[in-house]
Amino acid sequence: MNLALVGINHRTAPVEVRERMSIPETQLREAVTDLVRREGIKEGLILSTCNRVEVVANAQDDADPGSIIREFLADHHQCNLALYESYFYQHSQQEAVEHLFRVASSLDSMIVGEPQILGQLKQAYTAAREAGALNGTLNEISLQALAVARKVRRNTAIGASAVSVSYAAVELARKIFGDLTGKTILVLGAGKMSEIAARNLIRSGAGSILVANRTYERAVELAQAFHGTAIRIEQMLDHVEKADIVICSTSAPHYVIHRHHAERWLAVRKNRPMFFVDISVPRNIDPAVNELDNAFVYDIDDLGQVVEANKKQREREAEWAEEIIQEEVQKAMRRLASREIVPTIVALEQRLESIRENELDRYRSRLGDLTPQQREAVDALTHGILNKILHGPIRELKSGVGQPEQSSLVTMVRKMFGVAE
Amino acid sequence: MHSILLWLALIFYFVGIVVMVPSLMKHRQSVPSWSLVALGAGLVAHGASLAARAVNLHRLPVIDVQSALSFFAFLVTLAFFLAYLRYRIDILGIFMLPLVFVLTLISALRPGPSFQSVAFRSGWLMVHISTIMLGYVGFFLTFVAAVMYLIQERQLKSRNPQQTYYRLPSLEVCDQLYFRSLKFGLPFLTIGILTGYVWAARTWHGPWELDPKILAALITWLIYLFLFSARLSGSWPGKLSAYVAIVGFAAIMVTFVGISFVSGWHGYIPRLGKTP
Repeated sequence: MNLALVGINHRTAPVEVRERMSIPETQLREAVTDLVRREGIKEGLILSTCNRVEVVANAQDDADPGSIIREFLADHHQCNLALYESYFYQHSQQEAVEHLFRVASSLDSMIVGEPQILGQLKQAYTAAREAGALNGTLNEISLQALAVARKVRRNTAIGASAVSVSYAAVELARKIFGDLTGKTILVLGAGKMSEIAARNLIRSGAGSILVANRTYERAVELAQAFHGTAIRIEQMLDHVEKADIVICSTSAPHYVIHRHHAERWLAVRKNRPMFFVDISVPRNIDPAVNELDNAFVYDIDDLGQVVEANKKQREREAEWAEEIIQEEVQKAMRRLASREIVPTIVALEQRLESIRENELDRYRSRLGDLTPQQREAVDALTHGILNKILHGPIRELKSGVGQPEQSSLVTMVRKMFGVAE
Repeated sequence: MHSILLWLALIFYFVGIVVMVPSLMKHRQSVPSWSLVALGAGLVAHGASLAARAVNLHRLPVIDVQSALSFFAFLVTLAFFLAYLRYRIDILGIFMLPLVFVLTLISALRPGPSFQSVAFRSGWLMVHISTIMLGYVGFFLTFVAAVMYLIQERQLKSRNPQQTYYRLPSLEVCDQLYFRSLKFGLPFLTIGILTGYVWAARTWHGPWELDPKILAALITWLIYLFLFSARLSGSWPGKLSAYVAIVGFAAIMVTFVGISFVSGWHGYIPRLGKTP
């Protein structure tokens, strides 16, 4: 295995560079074919998303995959890559594997834990596989990256909590109402923010929507967009009780919903909970409403606080994910490395065995007729010598598995015993 | 035989809890499947233990304290599995299983006496005790749901979520579990009390109605009846219902355990001499 990964991501390169270097999905197969056709390259994988471009190649032992990848990128984009050199990073061998595992598990993402990356990697894998660019070690590593990503997702809550304010509202609604199916939303003030919040709630399954706005026409407009019902602002207070979730973002400079309102609605609703999202500044909902049983009021700062807590939660989960990844990288490397030394050990044994047989043949006539016992003794003697000689190098090879010096050790042993690559 | 099986169940429970609790406390999102396998094995062994005991006694093994505890623990585990499979509340085990373990341990440590009073052979008594137990299991689940509800409600009100916020289910799910388990428990408690009445009336003469345990059971029953009607009509806010469910379960604990020490007829062993 002679692995290199060359890439740029949102941390190392601005968007101008990333878009210059990106390889659209439609060209992916063609590009990866071009990569593996290059001298010395055995396998290749290209992952290109809006936040990153990663090119991985597995090369023959005497090739330099890093510079071949750079050549490939320069040719593909028809640019002088030296101009962009400072944006790129390169990882080889174990570090490349680790990087790929981290990327797949969304630990390297702009928003840690975001789920799209796994799908994008799957696409990249499929494209490379279809182009015939994956058929050995890198194929196995790619599959392992996908498996590790699934394991991380399964065993940690890395992607579980919302990290944007509008999704935080959805998540809170879920923590109150469980399933949002059939829940009614009232939008007070048809601004952009409330529209986004309402859209997210509807996407998450919420049922009907009521819209009230100072200008009735705008309310009708928004209501139509969501297949909802528009309400005149004067009648608004009579409708709130129907709503499970109230999103408030009017431009009124004072409280619109007071404690006594909410008290009345909760009584009518027979204590079914109400969730008030107040994204207006100045606030439109009296914070005292939150003191009522079964009423939950979140203003814009509260939502921000939840997002912060969620981010911390993700960080905690990310630490656990890193542990999983380290473990998996070690496992993968040991597996790959131990497989890599097998051919050397076999070649070594064959080489010495053939020497032994040749020498025995040469001396057979001089030894004369041997009794079966004597022949057995000669065999045992020569075998014993071979095994004693082999013992040292094989032990060294095995203990070098997964170590950085492994491949130089393999080369050295091969050279010393005259075993061809 | 039943004792060996009970110890086996205990070991399985122990393994299940030891696998589950730290991994839930630490990072893991869901209950490790090994834990569920161990608990399932424990449940089977526990059931087998009860069956062996039943064959041995020729009746439901509920009339001595140890068997009753074991039976109750078995039902709680069963309830855990049913509730878990239905609602997938990962944290549920942390609330329910330690109790299972403790009860099973107590039961395993003190094998019950096999006494042979004629009064305790009545079918009415079997129905009385087992239905009361089923009721209690339901109310234990109600209690757990109420505790989860209160913690989650506090988290949501605080607007500054802590770890528990992420682990606990939604208020809605807590409420569903609460109401369902209440609806399950109440009929059984009612049947339990009625059959107990019939049995007592046939067995005993004298003022048995004033037995403290019977009075406590009636009070418990009234609490749950109130709770049920309040939840049905929606006249109580969730928090109040949750608090009362906790009080109700405390009343059960007093009835089940506490009053056994002062009750004349229900003390299981010590006062059997008084049976006419």
